[in-house]
Amino acid sequence: MSDTFKAAIGRKVVSSASAEELGKIARLVVDVDTKKVTALVLGKGRKARIVAWEALSGFGPDAIMVNHESGLREATDEMDHRAVDGALELIGKRALTELGNEIGTIDDVEFDPVDGTLEVLLVGKQKHPATTLLGNGSYAAVLDRSTDPA
Amino acid sequence: MTANQIRGLPVVTVGGGEDIAEVRDVIYSPEAGALIGVTLNQRGFLAGRRKEVLAAVSIHAIGEHAVMVTDEGALVLPAEAPEEVSGADSSRNVLGNDVLTDGGVSLGTVADLAVVAGTSGEVVGYQIIKPDGGSGYIPLPAQLAVSGVALVVPALTEDFVRDDLVGLGAAVDEFRQRLGIA
Repeated sequence: MSDTFKAAIGRKVVSSASAEELGKIARLVVDVDTKKVTALVLGKGRKARIVAWEALSGFGPDAIMVNHESGLREATDEMDHRAVDGALELIGKRALTELGNEIGTIDDVEFDPVDGTLEVLLVGKQKHPATTLLGNGSYAAVLDRSTDPA
Repeated sequence: MTANQIRGLPVVTVGGGEDIAEVRDVIYSPEAGALIGVTLNQRGFLAGRRKEVLAAVSIHAIGEHAVMVTDEGALVLPAEAPEEVSGADSSRNVLGNDVLTDGGVSLGTVADLAVVAGTSGEVVGYQIIKPDGGSGYIPLPAQLAVSGVALVVPALTEDFVRDDLVGLGAAVDEFRQRLGIA
C-alpha cells in the first residue's frame, strides 16, 4: 500500500524505546540515483534534526517509529544542509523536462513505506513514474523526455 | 522558438537540478545554420557577466524554459572552448541584414533566428521584418552564404514566407525537399 509525501508531512515520529514523540516530519529527503527516500527532516531551521531511513523501525500510517532517540542528528555536511534547506525535497519543486520545458510543479509523490522506494510523481493532473526522475536540486526536479509534452 | 526567447533562460543541470548560469546571448554561425554556443551571465537580477561560455556541443537541449546541460563541466573558459565558439566574431551577426533572393527580390531584414526547440540549437529560419513593416518567418536551406550586410536565399523562399513559427515549422521540410537538400 502506497503512502504519499503530502500525507506523511506533519506525521509524528516516535521513539520505540521511550514511546516519546521526537517531532513531526517536515521534509522527506530523496536520492535521485536510487529513487528512494533516504532520510526524514524533523522540524525546521536550526532546530531541524535528520533521521536516516535505516534508523526507522516502521513507517506507519499514524506514526513513524524510530528505534532510538539517538537516531536523530543535526545537519553536519553539505548534503545535510541541502536536505534541511529543502533543496533535496520534491514537493512544490518546479518540474522541468530534460528538454528544457516546464511541465508544472511536483504536487505529491507516492512511495512505498516499506522500503522508501519512490513510485509516482504527481505534477498537476499528470502522473509520471518515479523512474523518470533524472535530477533534483534547488532550482528544479528534472524529468526525462517521456514526460515532455512536445 | 527564437534567439530572443533563449536570452535570459536559466542554464540548468539535468542530473543536479541546479540553475548554474543564464544565457546572455547566442553565438550563431550562418554557415553552419546552427547556434554554436551561448555566452553567459550569473544567475539573478542585475548579476554580472560570466567569463565562461557554453558550446552547443555541450548543450543537452534548449527548451521553452531552460537550456539543459549535463553538468557544470559544460561551462568552459573561452580558451578551452572549440575555436568557432571562442573566435566568434560579431560581424557574422545576421541581424539587420537584408534578405535578397537570387532573383533580386528583397524579402525584408533579419529580426531574429528561429531555433528548433529540443535540439542543441539548430536554426531553421529567420524572423524577418518585411518591406511593408510586418513580421514574417522564412525557412533556410541547410547552409547559406552571408556577407555581413546581406544574405542571398533561393528565389523559392518567396513562396515560403510564413506568419508565425508554427507555419514556419511546417514549411521547412517542404522547402528543403523542393530544394532537393532534405
